This record gives sequence, C-alpha cells and structure tokens, in this order.
Amino acid sequence: MKNLQVDALVVGGGIAGMQSALDLADQGFHVALVEKEASIGGKMISLSKVFPTLDCCSCITTPKMSAVAHHENITLLTYCEVVALEQNGASYRAQINKKPRYVNEESCTGCRLCEYACPLDLPSAFDMGLGAQRVIRVPFSTAVPQKAVLDIDNCILCGKCENVCPVADCIDFTQTAVTFEIHADAIVLATGFELTPTDAKAEYGGGKLRNVVDALTVERFLAPTGPYGHVLRPSDGKEPESIAYVQCAGSRDISLGVAYCSRICCMYAIKQAMLLSGALPLADITIYYMDIRTFGKGYEQFYQNARAMGIEFVRGKVARIHEDAAQNPVVRVEQIDDGSVVEREHDMVVLSVGMLPSYNPGLIYNVPVAADDGFVAQSAANISPCLTYQPGIFVAGTAAGPMDIVDSIVMAGAAAAETAAYLEERRAVGMAGNGRSPQTTSVKEVSYA
Amino acid sequence: MSTRVDPNLLIDLQDYGAVGAEKCFNCGTCTAMCPLTSDEHPFPRNMIRLAQVGAKEQLLASTDPWLCYYCGDCASTCPKEAEPGETMMALRRWLTAQYDPTGLSAKLYTSETAVIKTIVRIGLIVLVLFIGYHALTGFHNIVTNSVQLNTFAPVMLVWALVLLHGSMLFYRMIAGVFKMSRHVLAPVTMGNKVPLRIYLETLPVYITAFATQRRWRDCHGDDEEKHDDGRWFKHFLLVTGYVTMLVLILGFLWWFQTDAFYPLWHPQRWLGYYATIVLIYTSSEILIGRWRKTEQLHRFSQPTDWLFPTFILTGAVTGIFVHIFRYAGWAWPTYIIYVIHVMAMVAMLDTEVGVGKWAHLFYRPLAMYLEAIKAKVREEQLVPDFAPTGTD
Ligand SMILES: Cc1cc2nc3c(=O)[nH]c(=O)nc-3n(C[C@H](O)[C@H](O)[C@H](O)COP(=O)(O)OP(=O)(O)OC[C@H]3O[C@@H](n4cnc5c(N)ncnc54)[C@H](O)[C@@H]3O)c2cc1C
Ligand code: SF4
Ligand code: SF4
Repeated sequence: MKNLQVDALVVGGGIAGMQSALDLADQGFHVALVEKEASIGGKMISLSKVFPTLDCCSCITTPKMSAVAHHENITLLTYCEVVALEQNGASYRAQINKKPRYVNEESCTGCRLCEYACPLDLPSAFDMGLGAQRVIRVPFSTAVPQKAVLDIDNCILCGKCENVCPVADCIDFTQTAVTFEIHADAIVLATGFELTPTDAKAEYGGGKLRNVVDALTVERFLAPTGPYGHVLRPSDGKEPESIAYVQCAGSRDISLGVAYCSRICCMYAIKQAMLLSGALPLADITIYYMDIRTFGKGYEQFYQNARAMGIEFVRGKVARIHEDAAQNPVVRVEQIDDGSVVEREHDMVVLSVGMLPSYNPGLIYNVPVAADDGFVAQSAANISPCLTYQPGIFVAGTAAGPMDIVDSIVMAGAAAAETAAYLEERRAVGMAGNGRSPQTTSVKEVSYA
Repeated sequence: MSTRVDPNLLIDLQDYGAVGAEKCFNCGTCTAMCPLTSDEHPFPRNMIRLAQVGAKEQLLASTDPWLCYYCGDCASTCPKEAEPGETMMALRRWLTAQYDPTGLSAKLYTSETAVIKTIVRIGLIVLVLFIGYHALTGFHNIVTNSVQLNTFAPVMLVWALVLLHGSMLFYRMIAGVFKMSRHVLAPVTMGNKVPLRIYLETLPVYITAFATQRRWRDCHGDDEEKHDDGRWFKHFLLVTGYVTMLVLILGFLWWFQTDAFYPLWHPQRWLGYYATIVLIYTSSEILIGRWRKTEQLHRFSQPTDWLFPTFILTGAVTGIFVHIFRYAGWAWPTYIIYVIHVMAMVAMLDTEVGVGKWAHLFYRPLAMYLEAIKAKVREEQLVPDFAPTGTD
C-alpha cells in the first residue's frame, strides 16, 4: 500500500469522526479517516432510535457512513490503527498498521456467500452476544465498507468460504498486516468512548446474573435490525413483564473510580423505557435514579412525557441486585422519598452503564488526557473546546468527554472548522499545502466506489 | 412543625470525626446495604441528611446512631466515599457530648491536648493524695521489710473513696441518661408523662440488650462470607471481664485488696485471673486492630478511641503486677505499681464513665429501651395525636 499525503487525518469513524471528515472534505481538504474496526459507524450504528426525536438511528447514520465512503476527498481506511506518529517539521507523519481481513478488500463484492457457507456460529459481537455471527462475515448488514472480514482466531480453515467465493483469490488465509504512512498537517482525534463493563460493580451482579443486561444490549433488542425482533430476556427467552433501569450504574461512583456523570444514560434510559412501552405494552417499567439529568433542548419535556406515559420513577440508587429461584433479578434500594428500604423483583434489569474513555493518545500522539477522568484534555475547554495540548491535533465527540450524538456532531463540526482555520493559516505563511494545492487533485489510494 | 437548623452542625460534627459527611449526595446505597436498618430506623443516610441540613433537634431525638455497630458494609460501597459509618460513629461521640452535663466529653472528643491535660491532672491529684496521706501519717505506713499493702493503702479508706468518687461519676452518667431519655421520648409523648408501668414492662429490653448486645450479631446480615460472630464474642468477653472487675472493686474491695494469700482454687484468685486475662487479650486485640487498620471500623481512629483500650490494658497489666510483686514479697515495687494502677484507673473512670467510649455501654441498651417505650406508647395510643417526626 502506498503512502498517503493528506491535509487532515481523522482518527475514529464514529459519528464524530465521520462528521469532522465530511465537513473538512466538503471544504476541499483531503482527509484520511482511520478506523480500527472493520466498519465505520461507531456506537451510533448499533442504537435503535435516538432521543429526543425517536428517529430511527440506522436511517440517520447509514447515509453519513455512505457519504464518507463515497466522498472524493476522503480516503477511508478501516481495520487500521496509527501505531506511531512523528512530527515532521510542521506536519505529522503517521505510521499506519492495517490488520489483515483475510479478504481482498478491493475485490470483495460483499455478496456474503462466504458468510452463508461458513459452518461456525459465534456469539455476535455487534448484537452484544444475543445473536450469532459467522467466522467470516460482513460485520453487520449496514456495515461500511460492505466487505467481509475473517476472524482467524476462531477459524478452522475448512475452506468452505473459499470454495463458494465467486471472486478469484479474494479470500486469502495468508494475508498479513501491512504498514504504510500518512502525512498530514493536522489530526482530529475522534476515538469515542467505551461502556462501563457490566461487571464493574460487583453488587449489581452484571455478567453473573443472566437477566441483568446493559443498555446497549437493549438497544439491540429494540433495533429493527436486532437479533430477535422482540424483547426477550436472556435466561429463558420470556417476554419480560417488568423491567427496571438502574441509573448511574458505573457513573458518579468513586468506588469505581468514576466521579463524573455520563450525561447520556438518563436520557437513553427514558428513551428505551418509552420504546419498551411500545414494544411491550403490558410491561411495567421502573427507573431507579438519583436525579434525572435532562440537559438538552426538549429533553425535559421528553422526560415529562415518559412520566405521563406511566413509567415509574423511583428515587434511590440501587444498592445491590440478587436473583430469586426463577432467575428474576431482585433489586434492593432505599426509596429516598419515604426512606423505606425495599426489595423489588423484576423480570429483567437494565444497567444504565456510563461512558469511559476508550483510547489514551498520550503515548503515540503525545496528547495528554485529563487526570480526573481520562478523556482527552482540552487546553481551552470553555472557549475552544476542540483544542488539545498539541498544536495541530484537535479532538471531537466523546473522546473529549461524555456527550450525546447532537453534541458530538456539533463538536465534530467545530473541530473541522478549527482544523480548517489551522490549515489555512499555515498555508498563508507557506508552511503547509500537502494535499490541497491547486496542482494536485484528489489523492485516492483505495476506492470503494 | 417547624425545625430549627444549626448551620454549623456539620462543621461541629467534623471535629467529632464525621470525615466525609459533606460529600454524601443522599443516594441511599448505604441504607440499603446496612444489615441492621429497619423500616422504623432506616439509617445511616437519614442521619447524614439531618447532619447536612443542621437538624440538631431531630438528631438529639434519634436513637439510630446507637443502633449501628459499625460493620462497615455501608462505607464499602458508598459511591461518594462519604464514610457513612464514620458519621454514625461521630454522632455517637457527639451525642455523648450533648448528653454530658459537665462539658468534659466535648473537650475530650475535640481536643487532643484536653485529653492529655485531663489525664495528667487526674494522675497528679491521685499522686498528691497518696503523698499527702503518707506525709500526714509521718511515712510510718510504708512498711518495707514485708508487703503490707493494706497499711500502705488502707482498704477501707480506699474503698470509701472509690464509692464516693464512683457515685459522683454515676450521677454524671445518670444525668446523661435522663437527658437522652427526655430528648428521645419528647416527640412521642408530646409533653405527657409516660406511666411508670410502661418503664417497668419494657425494662427486660434494657437488661437483655445490656447483657448480650445481641443485636450486633446481625452485622453483615446474610453475607455469609463476612458474617462473623468473632467481634461480638470478643466484645462480649471484654464486657464480662470488666464487669467482673467492677463488681470485685465496687462491692468486694475489702476482700479483693488484701494482704492474705489465698490458695489457687479460691474464687478471689481465679475471678481476678479470669478478668485480667480477658482484659489483656481483648484490649490488645483492639489496639492491634486499630494499629493495622484491618477492619473497616478501624480505619479512622480518634485519640479517644485509643484511650479506652489503652487504659484497660494498663489497668490489667499494672493490676496483675501488684499481685505478682505482692506474692513475691517485694514491697517497694508493689507500692509503686499500685499507685500507678490507681492513677490510671481513676483517670480512666473520670474520662470514660458517661463521657467517653465507655458511655455506649449505657446508651446502646438505653436506645433500645427507649424505642421499646416509644413503641408501647404508640401501641396503647396514650398520646392521641402524636405526630411522627422526621427521624423515625
Ligand atoms: C445505550 C446507549 C444509547 C444511546 N442513545 C443515544 C440516543 O438516543 N441519542 C443520542 O444522542 N446519543 C445516544 N447515545 C450516545 C451516543 O452513542 C454517543 O454520543 C455517540 O455515539 C458518540 O460518538 P463518537 O463518535 O464520539 O464515539 P464512538 O461512537 O465511540 O466512535 C468512536 C470510533 O472510534 C473508533 N476508535 C476508537 N479508538 C480508535 C483508535 N485508536 N484508532 C482508530 N479508531 C478508533 C471506534 O472503533 C469507533 O468506531 C447512546 C449511547 C449508549 C451507550
Ligand atoms: S446521566 Fe443520569 S444516569 Fe447517567 S450518570 Fe448522569 S445522572 Fe447518572
Ligand atoms: S452511600 Fe454514601 S453518598 Fe450514598 S447516601 Fe450513603 S453516605 Fe451518602
């Protein structure tokens, strides 16, 4: 693979990274988008609907994903990671490692015949282990790029996929990682967030009690592309009649090392509660919370609507969860409003897990993270939130801290604007001009068109 | 009902060791984790809340702090590391100080220098009394060729002083008991008198609570891994030890402090040995625990927490040495160690009875007793329109 020269390198292909890349590319800058997974889309592509409008999430994410893939100024590099970065005068030289897909990315047509032929079923990562996935597969139905990827660790090398693949030499069990370089004048970090592991708080039994699940799992239950098309609790496939949400399950808890509020979980819990009321009209839904944080436009109304719909809100932080003989989770909580301690049984309990930083760019990018929360440190958080402590490196979306999709998009746009201003400024003093100079046209090394 | 708030309450409580109460955001995890919490007494969050808002009256009327035995389950999962158990402990100290009519308790709990000064002062007074007595008797009562403890310190004189001093201390204790009872019963009786009959009918509650501290055994509740009666049992041993000692000294000093030699099987000897061994064992165990901070309840120690076990250990060790030296026939060592023993024990009683850690001996069972009285008053609807208060 040849080296690339671009104006800006965007790291992370979630909603924030995609938006930054698009905004820069639309202004004529050349952008390379590096995503470590086999598809872009980030967490957003696995969500069902989004608060507070309840728009279908696939319907708004997929067009962005295709726009990124088809933009003539964007070079999309999936399954890639920046493994080293060097400052080269005024610009950066990033060393990229492209992991082997064991499938020729250029020639794969995404026909999925290999996937159908593969005899091995594994728990589906995309569906939070609810459904199954094959060892060789297109990551999910709306993945971009629509290219197969083979999980060599689980492969038994039976060759069935290779036999059915209609493209010559497309599946290649001998593929190895490749490295190449990207030269860029600026970088946007949009590496997103991780969820609190379900077993982080032992008292909640996550990971041990089968009917205690995290909120992303419920997104998959509710998504039109989800594994069952129904909400079925994990232990016995029964339709839950009573569902409880445990708020702040991983946030605002110093005993877990997380002091901050994750912002999104109140809102997504309310959203899911509403969607569940639609999917299971007879189910009782209870949300155990300390305070409901509705921080955006229309969000408080959204919450009030949920109350009006009959969703029960109980003030009190759940202390612990255990299971009864029928594997029903039993929640123990002090109901703050009257001071009574109760144990209430539900069919399924959802942990409203929080946001943790997913990636520490300290080592490679020399970009520090904030000491108190581990998200990328902003050098001027309240006047230029996209600036990091490294000139030419910007941050967007949840890489900078907990935020929802709207805020991620806004910040991604701001990061693009900051990056553009930075690039123009350098060009004015004659320091840059790697990609967008009048003579050069688009530099596209890989094309998925 | 209006509530008077004391805006400095939380700051005051910090002096008593409420190390994290200001951090609490009232999530209720601690209360739901507490194995001793009940519908009538859902603590500790309620107590922390009252402390935060400065609801002094409600705290004074509450028995909840005495119902907590500090197993530490609340603190281990508090999302704010607000140390709810420490606040309960601080409240017990604070309540003791509030009930103490002399004001000594407040000083001892909030100032280390006050603790040292008080102890030194009391020790010196005892020393001066000894020297004064012998000066007045022309030092003839110090027999050195054989051990004559009862000449050195005539037992009837000592006993009389013990009883005199003891009754002063007992009065101080009882004053505290009355003050606590008044505060706790007020919200239920609303100024009416509780008939004597009810006090008597519920008295067994006090007696069993005092004698067994049974409630403690519910600590760590259904958590079988952590549940351990060991702490309860050691504490129970400690109580039997010092109650034995107390009875021997208050009731039978003429028999216990003697120049006679008894055979080993005689109760005078084995009762004393039993108490000594138990006291040395349990007090050193407590001190080592505090030193190592292995248990939740020992992570934060105030000077007064060290005091009681240190006194007990000193008392038991000096006591047994008086005994050994006397049997060995060493006159001077016996007398000197005896004086030290008395200095330490008087200092202990003065800084403990009704004002220090020792006070919980009375207040814990009292809390349960008062709750039983309250329940009875309500049950019999003696007060037609009693209003439930915020604390219970
Ligand atoms: C259960 C749940 C429900 C939600 N519901 C809503 C909702 O209804 N409405 C709403 O507004 N928000 C919702 N959110 C929040 C929303 O998911 C986030 O705000 C949004 O996805 C953040 O996007 P992002 O691009 O910042 O991060 P991500 O989506 O995490 O994207 C980061 C991307 O970067 C990639 N990456 C990470 N590290 C590297 C690296 N070192 N190199 C290359 N690539 C890397 C990742 O693979 C990922 O693709 C919900 C969140 C959860 C958990
Ligand atoms: S958004 Fe709500 S649930 Fe999430 S951490 Fe904040 S307060 Fe807790
Ligand atoms: S667990 Fe901690 S924060 Fe929560 S109410 Fe108790 S003391 Fe306060």
